[in-house]
Amino acid sequence: MAVTGRAALLGFLAVAAVAISGSLAPLVTAVALGLIGVLIVVDLVLAASPKRMALSREGDTTLRLGEEATVHLTLSNPTGRGLRATVRDAWPPSAHAGPRTAPVRVDAGERRRLTTTLAPARRGDARAAGVTVRSIGPLGIAGRQRTLSAPWTVRVLPPFHSRRHLPGKLSRLRELEGQHTAMVRGQGSEFDSLRDYVPGDDVRSIDWRATARGDGVVVRTWRPERDRRILIVLDTGRTAAGRVGDTPRLDHAMDAALLLAALAGRAGDRVDFLAYDRRIRAQVRSSGKGTQIGRLVEAMAPLEAELVESDPAGMVGAVLGTQGRARRLVVLLTDLNAAALEEGLLPRLPALTSRHLLMVASVSDPAVTEMAAERGGAEALYRAAAAERTLGERRRVRAELRRLGVEVVDADPEHIAPALADAYINLKAQGRL
Amino acid sequence: MNAPASDAARVWRALRGPLVLVVSLVTVGVLLSLGSETFPEGHLEPESPAPEGTRALVTLLREEGDVAVVRSSEAATEAVSGAGDAVLFLSLDHRLLPEELDELAGLGVDTVLVRPTLASLEVFAPGTDVTGRTEDGTPLSPSCGLPDAAAAEDASLGGELYTAPAGSVSCYPSDTGDALVRVERGEAATTVLGTGHPLTNAALGARGNAALALNLLAADQVVWLRPDPPREAGQTSLWELIPEGVRWSPLALLAALALLALWRGRRMGPLVPESLPVVVRASETPEGRARLYRSRRARDRAAAALRTGFLERSVPGLGLAPDSSPEAVVAAVAARTGDRPERLRTLLYGAAPDPHAADDAALVALADALDERSEKLR
Repeated sequence: MAVTGRAALLGFLAVAAVAISGSLAPLVTAVALGLIGVLIVVDLVLAASPKRMALSREGDTTLRLGEEATVHLTLSNPTGRGLRATVRDAWPPSAHAGPRTAPVRVDAGERRRLTTTLAPARRGDARAAGVTVRSIGPLGIAGRQRTLSAPWTVRVLPPFHSRRHLPGKLSRLRELEGQHTAMVRGQGSEFDSLRDYVPGDDVRSIDWRATARGDGVVVRTWRPERDRRILIVLDTGRTAAGRVGDTPRLDHAMDAALLLAALAGRAGDRVDFLAYDRRIRAQVRSSGKGTQIGRLVEAMAPLEAELVESDPAGMVGAVLGTQGRARRLVVLLTDLNAAALEEGLLPRLPALTSRHLLMVASVSDPAVTEMAAERGGAEALYRAAAAERTLGERRRVRAELRRLGVEVVDADPEHIAPALADAYINLKAQGRL
Repeated sequence: MNAPASDAARVWRALRGPLVLVVSLVTVGVLLSLGSETFPEGHLEPESPAPEGTRALVTLLREEGDVAVVRSSEAATEAVSGAGDAVLFLSLDHRLLPEELDELAGLGVDTVLVRPTLASLEVFAPGTDVTGRTEDGTPLSPSCGLPDAAAAEDASLGGELYTAPAGSVSCYPSDTGDALVRVERGEAATTVLGTGHPLTNAALGARGNAALALNLLAADQVVWLRPDPPREAGQTSLWELIPEGVRWSPLALLAALALLALWRGRRMGPLVPESLPVVVRASETPEGRARLYRSRRARDRAAAALRTGFLERSVPGLGLAPDSSPEAVVAAVAARTGDRPERLRTLLYGAAPDPHAADDAALVALADALDERSEKLR
């Protein structure tokens, strides 16, 4: 039940009436209050029952973070009375749903469509919480209120800001695609085609047998091997929760992972995905060639950093346990945290590097670099020294990983995605995949 | 998310918090009031254990006979007429009307007055005059033939002083009169005390006060009259002066305010819960470490960190391996910057008592020196 401003106004009119009523006051009080009570009850009884309204939804189910989505709510009135109501379509606060409430009139037996606009501020699933219908009676004094369930989920996908780097990296990739013979022949390259010699080609790549068969000089071209397997492992443990700038490390890592996956998909490699802290949070297995971005983005959307210490042993086990014993490139997106890595991952690295090529990518914090450059007074120096120490530990871990044959990509949030893509292209160019 | 709960369950959930609060407040209040007993207060109040009360004396009197504590002249009349051997004790007699005084005097019972008004003196002890006063509680000696007083000896009876008419007994004389006067009227006697001080809890134990009081009030029935202030009658209260309409309007106002509160306070559906993300900066660890360095003034560690940072940045640029010996690094840096090797060695690797970690100023100087070197090496 709810009352409106009119009921309160009636109440204050009753106060005025009682105050000027003189010796009739007890009677006037009883009559006025009784009348208000009766009016409220009458209005409640005459209001259309909100419980019997039927709700249905349609509209967007996915959007990228930063975009807007619209969800339509259709309210049908199967009762014999017209509905005059205020309707609130409730969403979690971070979904920034608007409008907050909407006035609605639905005549008996009719339907009306309400539109809610969502501008989510967070990645993940935004679930509709319920639709509250406050049905006001014909007198406009009181109403019945009911919260109905109308489930709907809008999945907010990672924004994939690094998309803008994709064309540039793709053109770099195409340069490798064997259209020219300047390409180094290496372990991981395969024969592509024969074509006519043009001045400038390496004479060593002339295919003499083919030349002998035809008129002109023919050269062999090579291209990087296709159909390699890549496994992107996202560490969702506590270190991924730390914010670099205003965004968690996890989101930066996702951005880089998406660029890498898009690039690798175009290059004809198979991309698998695994999110892990103490158990598998999300997993995508490549079902064939071609881009997996859609599935990857879907899998990443609901991921949040967990406040637990990651379990490197389990992670290594999960990587080794994924299907196929074929050599693959394992890209581990984590933090180069000296304590966590030295105790956890480093002792277990040989198991991984003996079978796969491991690349560790980490987002560095520009704030720490700025801190290390602070000068002016002892206070600033203590901060600079602490930052230097953190940077030093990071350098040490980086060196240790490289010594163990691990590729390391360490860049600030702006550059991590292109840097990871470059590292991948370099590996491909060297035929090390 | 959560399904909309039934109304009854929601109302119960909303109400149970306040309900528990109210019930526990009432319980605590009742428990507290059970433990405490409040006593009436006031001068010569027979129930009061305070210094100016007379609970001690009344308790003593109750061991000997019966004490009826009364608050009005009617009750006193009733109590006296029901008893054989009675003594009327009267204090605060200014609260009684002249008719009531006459009625009490007409009972013909022994009466003890404490610092009576002139009107009471006129009625109970005609011919007695107030002729002076001494400081309250001044010790006086009886110096008279009254057996009660003589047996009690000295008492703190300083107060108003009276001069009795011929034929009555005057005890405890001071400069200008006597503090205790006994006047016979018919078969009853009136004893006038210039002060109630000797009877109070505070003074009862001193000198002969207790003995005097017990002697004066020795009877089977003591009627202790301490009149309540007379009530005003025949006046209209403020409430009755308010017009009837205005008197009833708070009820309507209450209803109106309740409606207003319901209108403004009724929420459109339940709140939507959402688990909030953790907000922790990635640079939290170095910042915490910085605060730790600062609070402990860890200059040696800070200096070491600054030096390590400098060396790790500069050594690769000099064409040296990261694990080169200090001598090699010092020599290479000295060759580029032109510093004296010994000085450079202290700067880059410290000495046994490190001059660069001596105080904050030295640390600042160290940082400046290192910055200068890395500028030169660039």
